[in-house]
Amino acid sequence: MNVIHPFQAVVSNASGNQIYVVSKSTILAYKYDGKEYRLIGKWVDEVEGNHNHAPTESKNAKSPSQAKKMRSNGGKSSKKYTSDPLFPIITSQIRKLRLSSDESKLIACTDSDKSIIILRILLEGEYEDNCLKLTKRQPFPKRPNALTITDREKLIIADKFGDVYEMDAYKDDVQEIKEPILGHVSMLTDILFVRDLQGNKYIITSDRDEHIKISHYPQCYVVDKWLFGHKQFISSLCNPIWKSQWLFSAGGDECVFAWDWINGEKLAEFNYEKLIQPHLSAAHLASERFQNESNDIIEYAVSTIVSLHTLPFVAFFVEATNILIILEVCPNTGVLSLKETLELPYSIVSLSESHDELEVTCDNRSAGSDHFVEFITHNKQNNCFEIDTQRSDSFNRAVALTLKDEESVNVGSDDIYPLYNMISLKKHGEHYS
Amino acid sequence: RAHSNPFSDHQLEYPLSPEEMDWSKLYPEFKDPTTGDMTKKVTVADIGCGFGGLMVDLSPEFPDDLILGMEIRVQVTNYVEDRIIALRNNNIESKRYQNINVLRANAMKFLPNFFTKGQLSKMFFCFPDPHFKQRKHKARIITNTLLSEYAYVLKEGGIVYTITDVEDLHNWMVKHLEEHPLFERLDRTWENGDKCVSIMLNATEEGKKVERKKGDKFVACFKRLPNPSDL
Repeated sequence: MNVIHPFQAVVSNASGNQIYVVSKSTILAYKYDGKEYRLIGKWVDEVEGNHNHAPTESKNAKSPSQAKKMRSNGGKSSKKYTSDPLFPIITSQIRKLRLSSDESKLIACTDSDKSIIILRILLEGEYEDNCLKLTKRQPFPKRPNALTITDREKLIIADKFGDVYEMDAYKDDVQEIKEPILGHVSMLTDILFVRDLQGNKYIITSDRDEHIKISHYPQCYVVDKWLFGHKQFISSLCNPIWKSQWLFSAGGDECVFAWDWINGEKLAEFNYEKLIQPHLSAAHLASERFQNESNDIIEYAVSTIVSLHTLPFVAFFVEATNILIILEVCPNTGVLSLKETLELPYSIVSLSESHDELEVTCDNRSAGSDHFVEFITHNKQNNCFEIDTQRSDSFNRAVALTLKDEESVNVGSDDIYPLYNMISLKKHGEHYS
Repeated sequence: RAHSNPFSDHQLEYPLSPEEMDWSKLYPEFKDPTTGDMTKKVTVADIGCGFGGLMVDLSPEFPDDLILGMEIRVQVTNYVEDRIIALRNNNIESKRYQNINVLRANAMKFLPNFFTKGQLSKMFFCFPDPHFKQRKHKARIITNTLLSEYAYVLKEGGIVYTITDVEDLHNWMVKHLEEHPLFERLDRTWENGDKCVSIMLNATEEGKKVERKKGDKFVACFKRLPNPSDL
């Protein structure tokens, strides 16, 4: 049976009337007129991924050592894909969709050819039927994994090899990539551009080796400090606009952390272990390679943490669960307390924030073309978060209608890309020498 | 084994942060018996210390400094540990060799877990793995991005010492250190007047091996410059 591929990423503009999503290797743009969503743009990544390294069934048969090293993807997706940092899945997947601060460009990483792509968003009147126009495809030596944008609209790209590069978002020509501006000897998982209270600029990077590093910018060769506390890999960082000296981080630890990154102090930890326990399933069983004899080792990780624009809350989710956890942040101390948990109809794939609204994409493969994206808003009357069903329904209807014949996003139900890759970053100390 | 992959997830032990590191196990003589605090901090690091020859010779020259060797290969680390235990046991009365010790560590990944900002005054890189292949250059111990981390743990005026018998690697290290805004090369006169340079040239096992083979040894030393004022 064919399904529309679940959305792996979503971003919205500030006014909330334009939304961009990734389905497989296609980026789609929708416009909202207050009642209905209209498909206004589409860009399909035509570059085929180099699948040579993807361990397929036939290759396993050839190489038992490779097969041994592989891990299944929690039994969630087809056997064809595995998630192991040693054998990265090379798909044509598009990841880490970002909107430039002036909302004129869409930036994304592509797995297919290790590129950063920049799409110009044409204004109404400039386009006939497609508002997305590719202006630059910048290849990198290693796979880009996270990106941020500076105040001067420079793009800062962090790759899976641990290096960070700077590139120009405005020059359309492909650049020669020079030396990295900073680096870790570890896979980089997230990157932020931040400023302190005096306006000094910094880059914050997180990696698979529990490290959060703060470097000056643009003098990135001067390391300011490290923030120590994570005992597992870090997957996600966020920096609240309402308190620029604070930072939130999460990953393989059972705690999310609040930091004062300027003073280098940990402000608080929030342990979500008990909260998430009832929602863990067979999808969280450790892969065979790291499993015990009674087959009960559970592994889980936070995929993404975001802070709200003006409200003192952070939201995060654990990979392969349908629970969105919202924490209240004490604006004086940074102490984190549970605000509420919100249950979504399906497992959450991605989470983003735009002007106090949260957008989540769902693993809706069994939903019969519904629940692609849910919009979550803060209700001021009762101070609660709730799914904006009117808008979500309207959007999901538009998606079902506009994409039912769209070849690039319709796939066999076995051909869905792995949506839960984060836990594969967990270290098991497999190399003893 | 002559090599180890610095990118692997080794079964390594490292402190959560420099504050969590218990140095008293490595340097028991420098633990204040009343307060339990260390009386000295590690100020000299030999990165990839190999069989420990440099430390053994540095020890009597710098009795007031704690010197730490970091080595990624298990068996080599075990050897150095045994060597230091034997040296200490043979010098119980004089308490010599109490200021050196070795840790199994991946310094390329976890250096900041051990040392605070500006803690070190000297870092040695003696006969590092040359990683000849172009695509493995990131595995080299001197890269522009790692130098920023070495600069972080080195105090202003601290010294990076490098020595190798591979000319190509020497040129690589010099190029990257010279290009880095926080390091400045020290001249031949300075090298000639420095105790550590002569120890480095003559003490290490690798150095002695090169000596026997009458090979070349290339030395380059660099000073940690102050941070730029416009940060």
